[in-house]
Amino acid sequence: MNPERWQQISRIFKSAISLDPEVRNAYVVGQCGSDESLRAEVEKLIASHEQASDNDFIGGIAAEVAAPLLVDEHEDGPPHRALSDGQQVGSYVILNTLGAGGMGEVYLARDTRLDRTVALKILAPDISTDKRRMQRFRQEAKMASSLNQPNILTVYEFGEVNDLTFLATEFVDGETLRDHLRKNKKLKLSEILDINIQVLAALDAAHEANIVHRDIKPDNVMIRRRDHVVKVLDFGLAKVTEKRHTTVKDEDSEAATAFKTAPGMIMGTINYMSPEQAQAAAIDERTDIWSTGVMIYEMVSGLLPFKGATDSHTIVQILEKDPVPLTNFTQRKVPAELQRIVAKSLSKSPDERYQTAKDMLIDLRALKKQLDVDAEIQRTSSPTTPIAAVRATEVRSELSKRRVLVVALVGMAIFIAAIFGIYSWRASRAKQNKPAVDAPPAPVAERTLTYWVTVQKYKDGKPYQGPFTLAGEINFEQSYQIRVNVQSAQAGYLYVLNEGPESGRPEFVVVFPSVTANNNSPFVPAKQVVQIPDKTWLQFDSEQGVEKLWLVFSQDAVPELETARQYASRQTRNLITDAGQNKVVQSFLATHSTTKPGLEKGETQTTLKSAGKLLVYAIRLEHH
Amino acid sequence: MTQPRPHDITQLLAKWSDGNQSALDELYPLVYDELHRLARRYMSRERRGHTLQTTALINEAYVRLVDQKNVHWANRSHFFAISAQIMRRILIDHARRHAYAKRGGGAQQVSLEEVAAITPDPGRELVRLDEALKSLAEMDPRRSQVVEMRYFGGLNNEEIAGVLKISENTVTRDWNMARAWLYQQLSETAAN
Repeated sequence: MNPERWQQISRIFKSAISLDPEVRNAYVVGQCGSDESLRAEVEKLIASHEQASDNDFIGGIAAEVAAPLLVDEHEDGPPHRALSDGQQVGSYVILNTLGAGGMGEVYLARDTRLDRTVALKILAPDISTDKRRMQRFRQEAKMASSLNQPNILTVYEFGEVNDLTFLATEFVDGETLRDHLRKNKKLKLSEILDINIQVLAALDAAHEANIVHRDIKPDNVMIRRRDHVVKVLDFGLAKVTEKRHTTVKDEDSEAATAFKTAPGMIMGTINYMSPEQAQAAAIDERTDIWSTGVMIYEMVSGLLPFKGATDSHTIVQILEKDPVPLTNFTQRKVPAELQRIVAKSLSKSPDERYQTAKDMLIDLRALKKQLDVDAEIQRTSSPTTPIAAVRATEVRSELSKRRVLVVALVGMAIFIAAIFGIYSWRASRAKQNKPAVDAPPAPVAERTLTYWVTVQKYKDGKPYQGPFTLAGEINFEQSYQIRVNVQSAQAGYLYVLNEGPESGRPEFVVVFPSVTANNNSPFVPAKQVVQIPDKTWLQFDSEQGVEKLWLVFSQDAVPELETARQYASRQTRNLITDAGQNKVVQSFLATHSTTKPGLEKGETQTTLKSAGKLLVYAIRLEHH
Repeated sequence: MTQPRPHDITQLLAKWSDGNQSALDELYPLVYDELHRLARRYMSRERRGHTLQTTALINEAYVRLVDQKNVHWANRSHFFAISAQIMRRILIDHARRHAYAKRGGGAQQVSLEEVAAITPDPGRELVRLDEALKSLAEMDPRRSQVVEMRYFGGLNNEEIAGVLKISENTVTRDWNMARAWLYQQLSETAAN
């Protein structure tokens, strides 16, 4: 075909396909006039155009077509050495094939020396015959085997038997996070946080040992079937952190590139690559922070934050684009805090990211606690949910019989709490999340406790005026709702028990700690404000009498109360129904309340002071 | 072997995008070597079940060869354009070898049953597409280039428009025309 003819055809074709089919024919006929062969050419080309569109002809890219050819070609070469069941490799006996990994075939095997099941990776010949790479692997395996952290897949042994090079690791019966995501399209936020907290714990330990993973992605994270414990794999492929980026000499470039490049980079896993990895620049542990951020983003939204039509587009996105904020997705409500954490981990500059896995871990953990708590509030305080309504009724009927102070689940509580309580409580929770929680209390010869009572008046079943605070020891109307706030000057163990007006046969309710208050731990750091109850309000249920709210604040855990609260935590509403248990508590309180603490009563709060390691005091709440 | 320095490649790219054709002549072998080396390495590491991504190869070559700080988007596009051309060569070479290897390295007697069992061979298809694309290039070099960049290099229309200095609409129209013609050519040769 000559170029003029081609131009002619293409001009008519171009306009024709932009027209509707009904008028297209007339247009072609008009343009071609009496040139029958021109018209035939154009019509043939239009038909081809339609078929090509329908068949998505060359719609993908050539590499997709070419890939199987390259694989075939490879298979024509020397086949992988396959091991059969029962075969012995050193002290390992092959039990089964587990699959092919990035480094070679993986088998389930029995370690006959230690009688345990292991995963045995037999390194592919192209890796094991490369001396330089082998040396690196040996070094890395040695480093990786030194990592001893429950979320890191344990490397047992790196060895060579005959001409086989193998890596024996802990065997995890479970699935990869990739498979887990495939099966469960939408994971719960709490599960997402839980998994990533464990991944970061693994990274934290590795980074401490100067090992950067370099290839964090769902395929390298396993979830154990039995207990959902997360294991991060393939630290063996990680490169020992080099603080300085060394320029590689030409002779070394081939071997060096294999390491300089993230494993799998050309295998199509660039989506988790950090900008510095994409640019083959010097990397450090902060690259793992980025990849974890990508993983969280993917788990929350179901989408990869950086994904272009081709890998080149993806790389451009990694280097230049900010991903759509998670809070913009409508399929689920994403806390702003999670968006902040993810955005921070996905800062283009490593200097602006979390600097350590631990920092990110702390933020995720705090967020998880917060969400757990919010869920609890939601669960216990919504008046519209039938469960809450039933619970409230149960509580009232059951407790009114006992004439004790009721831990009421009151509909309006959340409203008041929102105005008044929750924020300060949150602040106290945040403080509590600091590592100091686990530190043992320093011995102090004095115990100082300040308390105040928050009161919400009710009138005709509705909150009346705003809540106000009092120093305690005041008469209340039966319909009022109250909350007791306690703040200690020292760290220590706090127990709060309620004793109902019928003191003849006392029954105690452990109000603090509980499963929903302070994570069932009596330990409180110094200066922390504890609200009792922490999510709901107290309401008098008996018509009149004096309720006692026992405060026990001790330098050390109190064995008598420990037994009691553990018993109570298994009971409805933390009520101690066992006569023996009640007696133990009663006798403890009676013994230790003989020495009254010093009392300073202010306008809105009361401070108690007691010499020694123990303070015991009963707040009297009279109501009518 | 001396490794080309990122600076040189970047300058050559800049010269080429300024219209200096001799820069391309210098650039081509450098990029070819790199891509071929990466492709070879890739193949030696290839495992069943993985998909080859040409663009990943090109990207790796790009990040290794080109000085990121001093490169403009236009240069990047040019790099991908030339890489598309090179990848086409590398892939077609392999497809050819593959097709040859399948025939057993020479003429063989094939039974009728075997002939009937032959399924479309992606390698042969690719080689035929390459031949058709060469014929197209003789009549219409630009349209052939559009196909090369998009199909072999993974560039999108915007990037192709940038490299060829034409509008995106023109790229779309060129693509439609070229694709229809290639489809027609391949169906006709298949029928023969």
